[in-house]
Amino acid sequence: MASLITCPHCGARPKEEFTVKSAALPRPSADAGEAVWFDHVYLRDNPRGAYEEYWHHTSGCRRWLVVSRNTATHEVADARDASEARP
Amino acid sequence: MAEMTTNRIPLTAPPTQAALADRAPVVREGVTLEALPEGTILHLLARPTQVAAPFADKVAAAGLDLRVVAPGQWFATAPTVMSGADLVVLSQALKPEVDVVDQSHGRVGIVLHGPLAARVLAKGTAVDLDPSAFPVGRSATTLVGHIAAHLTRVNAERFEIVVQRGFAGSLFDDLSQMSLEFARL
Repeated sequence: MASLITCPHCGARPKEEFTVKSAALPRPSADAGEAVWFDHVYLRDNPRGAYEEYWHHTSGCRRWLVVSRNTATHEVADARDASEARP
Repeated sequence: MAEMTTNRIPLTAPPTQAALADRAPVVREGVTLEALPEGTILHLLARPTQVAAPFADKVAAAGLDLRVVAPGQWFATAPTVMSGADLVVLSQALKPEVDVVDQSHGRVGIVLHGPLAARVLAKGTAVDLDPSAFPVGRSATTLVGHIAAHLTRVNAERFEIVVQRGFAGSLFDDLSQMSLEFARL
């Protein structure tokens, strides 16, 4: 697990201060249909390598972030405020 | 139900006693831990996109110390209790820029001071407390142990910690434990 997350507001902080939500995926349109929404809500690829997730800095600035990390090396490439990083 | 109604505390009533009234200052070799007097802690809230604090002068003029909490959030603190009338005046003066929520009864201040204060605090938080990374005047919202707290370096050897009232006793005891290696023999 990536142990240090570089919060754009607070700097490097340990993962214990954060809550992970899930993959940061583009949201389907409201009328996209059941199959597309089922996929969006429940189905994940679990890739090895680069991955984007929503992280909440629960015990810090309490902002939602989009964290780009590598699931194999645990390296955090980027962390942006979610409001600026809509996928 | 009747008893419950009669036992209700009016919302304006101050706490009957300080949260840390029963915690005496902990004096160690090189570091001292003390509860701060329960004065004024105001939570200022603006939009999260607002990082600058153009109202800082007004806060300072009211005798309060402004501390960054998060994007669009600040604490304004003072060691003395602010009267309700003064609070209304300040809230109205700040209204166009920021909303004020009085947290004076909701949060409690603890101070850790002395040359070893940073060494004690570093045991509980992952924030880099080196003066180059955390200079005087810098604040951080973080965890101290498992307790969410807000740290401010007031001067080189003095850290003020603001914590939610219900956690104050536990945090004080944790900090006391963390400073135990410097206990006077």
